[in-house]
Amino acid sequence: MSIADQALTEEMASRRDMIVCRGVKKWFGDFQALAGVDVTVKDREVMVVLGPSGSGKSTLIRCINRLEVHQEGEIIVDGVEMTNDMRNIEKIRSEVGMVFQQFNLFPHLTVLDNITLAPIWVRKRARVEAEAKAMELLERVGIPEQAGKFPGQLSGGQQQRVAIARSLAMEPKIMLFDEPTSALDPEMISEVLDVMKDLARGGMTMMVVTHEMGFAREVADRLVFMESGDVVEVGTPEHFFTNPTEERTKLFLSQIL
Amino acid sequence: MSDVTVPTSQRAPETPSTSPARWVRENLFSSVSNAIQTVFFSLVLLGLLRWVLGQIFSEEANWTSVATNMRLLFTYNYPTEQFVRIWFAAGALFLAVGASFAAWNLNPVVTVRRIAVALAGTGAVSVVVGLITPEATPSSIRTGFLVVGVALVVLAVLVTRLIPNADRRQIPFLGLLIGVAVVVCGVLWFFPFGDYGFADGAPTAESGTIDSSTSLPVTVMFLIMIATYVAGRALARRIDLGWLRRTMIGWWVIGPAFIVFLVLRDPEFDWGYVLAVDVPMGAAFAVGGAVLLYALSKPSRSDLARVIGALLVALALFHWVAAFFGWYPMLQKARFSFALIAVAALLAPTFAGERSARLRFAGGWFGFMVLFHWLLTGINTPSTLDIAAPPFLGGFVLTVSIAYYVMLASFPLGVLLSLARTSKMPIFRVLSTTYIEVVRGVPLITVLFFFSIMLPLFLPGGMGISDLAAVFAGYTVFSAAYMAENIRGGLQSVRRGQYEAADALGLTTVQRTAFIVLPQALRVSIPNLVGQAIATFKETSLIAIVGGFDILRIANSTIPNQPDFLGQKRPALFFISVVYFIVAYSMSRASRNLEERLEAGQAR
Ligand SMILES: Nc1ncnc2c1ncn2[C@@H]1O[C@H](COP(=O)(O)OP(=O)(O)OP(=O)(O)O)[C@@H](O)[C@H]1O
Ligand SMILES: [Mg+2]
Repeated sequence: MSIADQALTEEMASRRDMIVCRGVKKWFGDFQALAGVDVTVKDREVMVVLGPSGSGKSTLIRCINRLEVHQEGEIIVDGVEMTNDMRNIEKIRSEVGMVFQQFNLFPHLTVLDNITLAPIWVRKRARVEAEAKAMELLERVGIPEQAGKFPGQLSGGQQQRVAIARSLAMEPKIMLFDEPTSALDPEMISEVLDVMKDLARGGMTMMVVTHEMGFAREVADRLVFMESGDVVEVGTPEHFFTNPTEERTKLFLSQIL
Repeated sequence: MSDVTVPTSQRAPETPSTSPARWVRENLFSSVSNAIQTVFFSLVLLGLLRWVLGQIFSEEANWTSVATNMRLLFTYNYPTEQFVRIWFAAGALFLAVGASFAAWNLNPVVTVRRIAVALAGTGAVSVVVGLITPEATPSSIRTGFLVVGVALVVLAVLVTRLIPNADRRQIPFLGLLIGVAVVVCGVLWFFPFGDYGFADGAPTAESGTIDSSTSLPVTVMFLIMIATYVAGRALARRIDLGWLRRTMIGWWVIGPAFIVFLVLRDPEFDWGYVLAVDVPMGAAFAVGGAVLLYALSKPSRSDLARVIGALLVALALFHWVAAFFGWYPMLQKARFSFALIAVAALLAPTFAGERSARLRFAGGWFGFMVLFHWLLTGINTPSTLDIAAPPFLGGFVLTVSIAYYVMLASFPLGVLLSLARTSKMPIFRVLSTTYIEVVRGVPLITVLFFFSIMLPLFLPGGMGISDLAAVFAGYTVFSAAYMAENIRGGLQSVRRGQYEAADALGLTTVQRTAFIVLPQALRVSIPNLVGQAIATFKETSLIAIVGGFDILRIANSTIPNQPDFLGQKRPALFFISVVYFIVAYSMSRASRNLEERLEAGQAR
């Protein structure tokens, strides 16, 4: 069993590969941010990525939808390899939702327009249809009454929930989360996590960078611990929180818990 | 939006309005040094004002030179018997203004109190003017200023006393519109303007009051504007506002060209030729293009659309090269149309979608082509106007037309340049940077000379370019470089996360730019863009050096050469300064209003 497939149950191992990273390396100038990462995410799996600041977590998930370009190794998303001469990068990206730490809502559009823009222009949906779907999603993240407001008029937690709804409106096969609660006040964190738990229960394939250990323990199928651009350890939550193998993992967890 | 009554407990506390006396005490005489400064600068101001008044009312200044030359200043030598065209054009503009006000529900917030303050201020200034006018001033003028001033102040006091809640009560926009109309029409009907005609290339004096040929049309036009506004507001509740807005934007882009070239210029169509050549060609491009675009905008055919678009671009370029070397004759119209259909074909994947979207795309092309060919046919046909000294545009009409179209044309050019300058492709970056830096390093007057004198020499025979068009091109090229720099500032203020979010959703680069990046960048650039527009408006006065008769040249050299008003420069120059100021100040106010509206929309 390769590192990438460590700790998979038999049932899980039989599922389809949604994200495969093999020996992914990435440099920023002379600085190596990813030093040969091997990770596999299976269909309907929730994978949580842990690691100290600067360990390359963001870089890794940004490579998966090609916001960053890796230099060596291969990344295969839903059967399509990310290469330099890809022609339809937009097509892949529209299948992969991404939620950012800083929300990155479009400040000049209303909440409703934020959500419907991509379905209308990328998926070519009719406006009425897109709006109905958007209202449904706002319902699901619990803020249908904010549809007509601008992002600047919402609280951080509400903004992040809109951002999640915006990604979901594209009906993605995979959702990437990069520290979705790190910019939020403590009392708003749970409202966002609740939405994410809901999503996980619904069978969404998710890759989540987070420091919320409660969430990791409760929702993750597997955890990945990264340090200095390397995957140090992969395992189930049970394994991680009771009996991690690597010294570095133990040290990190003892600091954060 | 329905009116929501806010419970009293939630209303923000009112700021108590201070009395004028208290304001003066707190702001102008709060300390000894403050009082000294106040007195000193008041005296300086009064001295200046008195000097200006001395200039205005000096015996040498003959103000009838302005009053008599109104027609010249506004339309120059446009033939009197064709004036109905001017009125028609102005009527169409007023109509569009009224409809646009209604479509965007532009409701400047003006409280009764603000109007009262303005009235009182004007009254006070008027009283001061009456008191300090130099001795030479006729006593009737002195008393006039005093009486009007006192009357205004009394009116202001009455208004604030009699109308309850003057602080918060807002004047409906309609009221403002009617107020402006009454003032303008009142002046026209009762002020003794004279009239200057134009015969055999020389102005002819003809003193007397402006007759009803001006006051009546202007009055009618204001009535039209008010009526369209009222009708528009009433309609706005029933029809789709977005549709009305799109229609109005389309009108503002293409309507003025129609007015200038088809109404004011009155082309004399040779119907045989029009039916044999122009109509079939326009129809071919309109129908053929629409069919092609409908076919190409099917989502599965985006690759095909790119190939055909590229082929058409090559074909269009080839036609221009052929024209340049004079290989075979081809109408300019056809060359332009090929270029346009090439661009539209390249855009087809962006507009791809279901049937109705494709039909709209093809229909849009059809309508655009019909208008485009009609306009070009009109422009290429000789004019029926019997004008002593061409061009047919002059005076304020020329100033405004040039300024308007330079802004309209240089804006998209500026957007493209700024995008090119910030793009990842080195070739675009180098080209655009070179263009911008070269143009910004050259004085405007040089650019204008280049376009009016040199450009025609470079162009091969048969590609002649009229004086007016050359100047227009020069201004556009110049203004676009500055617009580009202003927009680039805005582009840099858009945060990286916005690009990433758009990319992550799968938007294409074009979509990301059009829906996410540009709207945010332009909002930031509004103040600078309006500043640039105001500069352009004032710089149109340079058109005189290449032969145009704009409002400044008429004031500065035409009027002082009229036998009746030899050497009378000051009044006319003073008058056009006021005209320039009114237009420029309105633009700057409008931009402030726009910014406030946008900010209110997305308060952070
Ligand atoms: N655009 C960039 N240019 C240069 N260096 C970069 C760039 N982006 C990231 N890095 C570097 O790469 C390393 C990994 O960064 P990354 O953002 O992936 O870390 P992270 O694990 O997400 O950390 P954090 O928990 O602080 O978000 C860091 O040392 C960072 O300084
Ligand atoms: Mg990070």
